Amino acid sequence: MFEEVLFKNRRPDRPATLDEYRQSGGYEALIEAVKQRTPDEVRQLVTDSGLRGRGGAGFPTGRKWGFIPADAGFPRYVVPNTDEMEPGTFKDRVLVNIDPHLVIEGIILSGYAVRAQTGFFFIRPSYELDAQLIEREVEVARQAGFLGNNILGSEFSFELVVHRSAGRYICGEATAQVNAIQGNRAHPMKDRHMASDGLWHRPTIVNNAETLACVPHILRQGAEWFKGLARTKTGAGTKLYCVSGKVNQPGCYELPIGTPLREIIEGSAGGMMPGSELKAVMPGGASTAYMPAKYYDVEMDFDPLKAVGHRLGTAAIMVFDQNTCLVAATLNLMEYFARESCGYCTPCREGLPYIRDLLWRIEAGEGREEFIPMLQQMARHMDSSYCAFAPGAAESVLGLLKYFLDEIREHISQKKCPFAEAYRPHRKLWYPAE
Amino acid sequence: MPKLIIDQRSIEVPAGTKVIAAAEKLGIMIPRFCYHPGLGSFGACRMCAVKFLEGPVKGIEMSCMEDARDGMVVSTTDPEAMEFRQYVIEWLMMHHPLDCPVCDEGGHCLLQDETVSGGHGRRRYLGHKRTYHDQYLGVFVQHEMNRCIHCWRCRNFYQGFAGYRDYGAMQIGNRMYFGRYEDGPLESPFAGNIIDLCPTGVLTDKPCRFVGRRWDFERAPSLCLHCSLGCNTTGSARYRQMWRQEGRFNEMVNGYFICDRGRYGFAYESHPERPRRARVAGLEVAWAEAIQTAAEKLSQIAATAGPAAVACLGSARSSLETQATLQRFCRALGWSEPRYFSVPSQERQVKAAIARLEAPLAVSLREIETADFVLVVGADPVNEAPMLALALRQAWLKGGAVAVLDPRPVFLPFEFEHLPLAPGDLEAALEALTAGAGGTDLLAGGSPWPLLPKIAALGRRLTQTQRPVIVCGTGIVRESTPGLAADLVLRLREAGLNAGLFYLLPGANAFGAGLLSPAGEGLTPLMEDLETGAVKALMVVENDPFWDYPDRGRLVRALDKLELLVALDYLPSPTVQRADIVFPTLTLFERNHSSFVNQEGRLQLAPPVHLGGMPMAQISPEKHPPRTFLSHIPGGEPRTPGEILAELAAAMPAPVTLPGDDLWDWLSRKNPVFANIVSLFESPPGARLIPEAVPAGTFSPAAAPAAAERPPDYLELLLVDLIFGTEELASYSKHIQPAEEPPRLRMHPADAAKLRLSSGDRVALRLLGGTLEVDLQVAENMAPGVLVLPRHRQLNWRLAPDYRVMVAYGDIVKVEA
Repeated sequence: MFEEVLFKNRRPDRPATLDEYRQSGGYEALIEAVKQRTPDEVRQLVTDSGLRGRGGAGFPTGRKWGFIPADAGFPRYVVPNTDEMEPGTFKDRVLVNIDPHLVIEGIILSGYAVRAQTGFFFIRPSYELDAQLIEREVEVARQAGFLGNNILGSEFSFELVVHRSAGRYICGEATAQVNAIQGNRAHPMKDRHMASDGLWHRPTIVNNAETLACVPHILRQGAEWFKGLARTKTGAGTKLYCVSGKVNQPGCYELPIGTPLREIIEGSAGGMMPGSELKAVMPGGASTAYMPAKYYDVEMDFDPLKAVGHRLGTAAIMVFDQNTCLVAATLNLMEYFARESCGYCTPCREGLPYIRDLLWRIEAGEGREEFIPMLQQMARHMDSSYCAFAPGAAESVLGLLKYFLDEIREHISQKKCPFAEAYRPHRKLWYPAE
Repeated sequence: MPKLIIDQRSIEVPAGTKVIAAAEKLGIMIPRFCYHPGLGSFGACRMCAVKFLEGPVKGIEMSCMEDARDGMVVSTTDPEAMEFRQYVIEWLMMHHPLDCPVCDEGGHCLLQDETVSGGHGRRRYLGHKRTYHDQYLGVFVQHEMNRCIHCWRCRNFYQGFAGYRDYGAMQIGNRMYFGRYEDGPLESPFAGNIIDLCPTGVLTDKPCRFVGRRWDFERAPSLCLHCSLGCNTTGSARYRQMWRQEGRFNEMVNGYFICDRGRYGFAYESHPERPRRARVAGLEVAWAEAIQTAAEKLSQIAATAGPAAVACLGSARSSLETQATLQRFCRALGWSEPRYFSVPSQERQVKAAIARLEAPLAVSLREIETADFVLVVGADPVNEAPMLALALRQAWLKGGAVAVLDPRPVFLPFEFEHLPLAPGDLEAALEALTAGAGGTDLLAGGSPWPLLPKIAALGRRLTQTQRPVIVCGTGIVRESTPGLAADLVLRLREAGLNAGLFYLLPGANAFGAGLLSPAGEGLTPLMEDLETGAVKALMVVENDPFWDYPDRGRLVRALDKLELLVALDYLPSPTVQRADIVFPTLTLFERNHSSFVNQEGRLQLAPPVHLGGMPMAQISPEKHPPRTFLSHIPGGEPRTPGEILAELAAAMPAPVTLPGDDLWDWLSRKNPVFANIVSLFESPPGARLIPEAVPAGTFSPAAAPAAAERPPDYLELLLVDLIFGTEELASYSKHIQPAEEPPRLRMHPADAAKLRLSSGDRVALRLLGGTLEVDLQVAENMAPGVLVLPRHRQLNWRLAPDYRVMVAYGDIVKVEA
């Protein structure tokens, strides 16, 4: 049986305390780092470990840290990102609730690696209890000497501030997050390089909380150990898979990265619900395309999924069965994305509501054949929008068109939703005027 | 210089040029909404998508976001890019109302043009259209939010370029709203630019609402006369009336934008009481009769009391042609030299500034944007020369610093350092800075001046810059201050810095007036000549001493002694009302080409916008063209002062011919700076009328820097400008009047405490000429020891013997309600 790493201190009823965390080896990595390792060594170790960002894009973490120019000035900032608003994704919340100090230690270590002075723990406002938990535990860590000036007697000083998001999906985007922290309107800034020109035009590193939680383990047990955790050759570490949908035991499971989809669903998630057959999954949250049942054996890691034209995203697996109308499911997602668009660029601001309108008409039995090429073109053109939000939002539409075109045609030809008996969405288009 | 190929044509552009700008140089207009050369790239509208075929960038990308780089091959007509752009238009048109027939933007609407040129004709979207609440945004800007395509230009200008915060983007997704937090007038005096910037009809010109289509207007390039900067505008006239002014690009002066005073100040042109007919003794008479009467009376006085008994007063707002012709006229008739300023201290300040402005030192408004340190001395940019404030902000945005030495509560839309020094201390500060730049340790003498350490710190920062600019006002400073500012610039240049000098002057053509005024001490002040009876006849050409002379009582008494007052003007001014003979003149918008010299010596030409005449609206209540046709233009009698003076000269008993066509030759014989003039049609930024001489400074040995002596228990009264309400021409504009803030007297809290006054008190100021009642506002960010009073239209402030007076504590009393 695989031994959990990030969830080592998982308890049924409460988060792990500092003492419990320390008994499991907590803060040893930090103590060792500030006393024996240089920041560059920490960064190199993380680079060697092959750790890739867990927030969705899968960018190598060590490389991201290395983007800060050698001559960049101070202060520098790290922003642990827990603005978890991707539908289907709840791993950061679980992680913070299981072992807050693991995340805090990861943040301090990342701050050490990039020589930052301040961290802004950016957390979704719906996670108010978790924000309070982190605030409390940050204070505990400070009392214990892991935060503040001259941590553990070293030259390294670091402060961690919990910053509640304004509660919008786009605030999870790194550059928009920088705007949000500064109190500006949270829209992305593609012409700014965070590593040299982030918060208040200072070097800033934005990392997902799960990514940072891996760092203490890497430092304690080495890069090779971390690589060895993976089930794939190119992968490294473990992954928190959030499984939801038509399975018997939905939940967040820590498994070696690259565990095949079949094993996740049939193992940890307890298999499909009685009477349900697997029709499709979304492998990585709402901004990844539907993956049909033929990919049931694919290894859930960045590269294997990429090889079959899909994305791991946040590894939030949403499972759909044969009775689920995917047009309705896509419509549901488009309502979310159309609502959450920041409104900065035209394709996202106007194109997503347009797609939503077409899907709604198809679902309501008013669909027409000419909607299909329009959907195809518009979803494709989302690639030319300002940031990665609209391309992600369009993934579900593209997946629907690619694998389930017949289902759309059935809606159009029957002039109603063929799943109407099994699933009846009671929804209505939202207009500002109404 | 990167070289790239756009649509099979190659072009080389300076590094940093965006592909969209490079294409524009080839004459390829890539569609755009959010991109504006004055604002930069934002990548929001996605309309400028092109396909990058070869080079460092591949695929569909935004041409406004990509720097032109070597090896780029760009296609603007690639089918994929065209399809994407068609979708962008379709998306933008999903909610755009089809109200073009009743929209003021219709006909010059960028959205309209790009919708038509993109081929989007039929609406495929089946949903409802989005609707919004429109806001009241003040008297200048009309808001029609339903038409918004969310291009961000208005917000990017308002918050980014101009630095004001009360208008912006709210909400997200397709509910996004551009407006204020609540209805109310826009706070920025540059708000009118969002009308020009809006690519469709969301923000339209309120005074010009429902007046005409773009092609209905007579349009011509024009100039703004409402301060000395000389911003370029485009005027629109219809029905013999000016309706609208827009900013016009000038790469050396205003860039793309203008302020609201310049935009809406034009309506003096159609003031209902504007003189339109010649008048003798208050009665309208035939033009020839008025000329005959004036010529007879003037020559009679000249014959009996001597030619020197006839004096002329030109102005700082007249064109250079008018100013020069007046001088020529006086010389031809042997009268005394014309004066151009009714206030002698103003004339001396202007001449002091002009004398020191030489080509190597002078910087243009746009060059200020590249300065890394700007020291503003005795100037309040937003109120005296509004566009200077925006130029300073651009310098600040690029990393430059701005420091202001001024007694007033100066506001600028960015962070700056303000040292509130009394006017008398400005000179000491400048001298200290000059000495400091020359290596003197200012703090060595142990001066008791408490502000000296701050000035010394400023001086140290100044010497650490590369491209400092000294901005010096002429409104409230002493007459020698402009010279000290020039000394500082020369000292900094000696220290190896590329220092520049920028003056502000009182009046759109104060520079021209200064060039034509006699050098040195000049003539006896006009008022003295009037009082002694040395001048018996006065001809006032486009000037109104009642507007700017500080002592109304003295002026009236002096004018009462006159035997004859002749006025030539286009304003219904008190001078015109009391003149014995009135000749109506033309504004710069009408029928004549006129040139003006701005404060940096830049000669610019204003062609006519329309032919002039009585506005249609004043003849008939409708705006409809006349149904009866006449052989003349009704109300078309006004002429240029040059024409009137030539007629007068010809009508004299001993007729004199004033040749009209060799004015520039005559001027260049007088002053070599006029010889440099090239055709202004060939040189859009204008021509500089300043000597090329290598300037040299004479530095007096630095005295120990100290604050100026001030009599105790006295406050110095400063008569200052406001953006609206104090400038002569704009104050006659019906569009500006409702935007004026009520005038307030401002005072430092320390002085207010001594006088037991507080904000909101009604205060009576007892001055030599009478008592003035005004509301008090206590302001922290100003110098103690001064009273700041706007020369406001609504205020009878002309009660002091001079612009600079001391007011005793006892003469400032609270008026009990």
